[in-house]
Amino acid sequence: MPALAWGAGTLAALLAVWLVATSVTGLVPARVLPSPVAIVQRAVALVAAPFSGATLEGHALASLTRWAIGVACAIVVGIPFGILLAWLPPVRVAVGPVFELLRFIPPFAWVPIAVLWFGASTTTQALVVFIAAFPACVINAQLGVSQVDPILQRAAQVLGAGSLTTLRRVVVPVAAPSAFTGVRIAVSNGWMALVGAELIVGKQGLGFLISQGQNNDSVATIFVGIIAIGVLGAAIDVMLQRLQARLLPWTPALAQAR
Amino acid sequence: MLIAIVGSAALVLAWWIVTGPAALVAPLYLPPPAEVLATFGRMAREPYLGSTLWAHVYASLSIVLLGWLLAGAVGLPLGVAMAWWPRLRWIVFPLFQLVRPVPPLAWIPLAIIWLGIGDGARVSVVFIAALVPWLMNSMQAVYSVDALLVSAARTLGASNRQILVRVVGRTALPTLVAGARIALGNAWTTLIAAELLAASAGLGYVALNASRTLETGVLLVAMGVIGLLGVLMSAAMRVATRVLAPWSTKGGASA
Repeated sequence: MPALAWGAGTLAALLAVWLVATSVTGLVPARVLPSPVAIVQRAVALVAAPFSGATLEGHALASLTRWAIGVACAIVVGIPFGILLAWLPPVRVAVGPVFELLRFIPPFAWVPIAVLWFGASTTTQALVVFIAAFPACVINAQLGVSQVDPILQRAAQVLGAGSLTTLRRVVVPVAAPSAFTGVRIAVSNGWMALVGAELIVGKQGLGFLISQGQNNDSVATIFVGIIAIGVLGAAIDVMLQRLQARLLPWTPALAQAR
Repeated sequence: MLIAIVGSAALVLAWWIVTGPAALVAPLYLPPPAEVLATFGRMAREPYLGSTLWAHVYASLSIVLLGWLLAGAVGLPLGVAMAWWPRLRWIVFPLFQLVRPVPPLAWIPLAIIWLGIGDGARVSVVFIAALVPWLMNSMQAVYSVDALLVSAARTLGASNRQILVRVVGRTALPTLVAGARIALGNAWTTLIAAELLAASAGLGYVALNASRTLETGVLLVAMGVIGLLGVLMSAAMRVATRVLAPWSTKGGASA
């Protein structure tokens, strides 16, 4: 428990220093670093009245929608693709290098060309999320399937299991934890990429909110945006961790902690 | 290997067909391969947005390496110290957990307000992106040293220096190098985004401008060079792993 006490103490001390520096003594001007109180007030104001086209919830909802579309597409396409790569070596050899090469182009580098193709629309943002989330789904699904012990598969077949039963009872249980970990990585990569994409182009969303804060010289707005992004990102990951523990309780502890 | 070349060739062939003979895609959206190659040649010789392609590459690389090295200079000792002294860990770790869910990119607007649109903002954002893997893996590296091995070496008469080099170094190095590799990847990704937002040179800056002026060829060259440099950096780190820690098995944690 000392860890918790020290941690809480540190955070409290930091908050106190922040308060003293901004509200009490006014050493740090508000346009450099607003006081915590001002940030809370700004958050309340953003929830109550629209700023740059939407309220705080509106921006969050816009971000979450695009993120969900992009991630869902990445999962639906990426996991079967990964399984295919693991199952059919010729496909892996043919597609692998191209996939590896494209993977090294950071998702944000696709933003300008996505804008050119689709304009500053939801499609652009969702495409960037998809590009960021796709590789993690593919790689981890492939890894999961390749981890299946061929002896287990043969044993199942010897014992009279059909290929469907083998798939359901042998391959899926072994591969699922790794694939799920891939989904978790994909989800957080997608969230990160979305924020970047919204900063660069967009008319709504939390990233857009931050960039509007910058344009209006409102550091408090930027902080509200950053906190909202961090909280939502952390909440999504915690939810997925719980889901993983519930659905796939046999996941190795190490993979769960990632 | 052969099939790999065929696979890549097929991609270029498909690109050539849809843009050239079949004319399915307008050159504005996707110019044919030959035109992109010609644009590459032109950018290598003549300045675009004030400097040649190589100067833009240099601008991007110097900032990425500076931010990455600074993050290493802070993250490595801090990570080791956090593994060594629990109190320091208890103090720093909560702050870290608080900041970690925020994408490094989200700090860019703040960095621009605080530091202006110059190199400082970009270096600091790259620093933030690279710091997490440096620090986490350094901490993990020290943890991964088996106390039993240290005791065994001591019993067998090893000096402190020998223990550090032969036992701690051996076990910790693969994790450390893996951290450095992940940090470099994160740094590169983040820098490109930062250049899309605030820069006066660099590949991301070129890409954004090309998109605004509808010079798709230039944009594709910039993307290609960004990807190629990513491949080269990753390959360099793999070579470094093989040289520094040839006994490392799989490169530790990935994220």
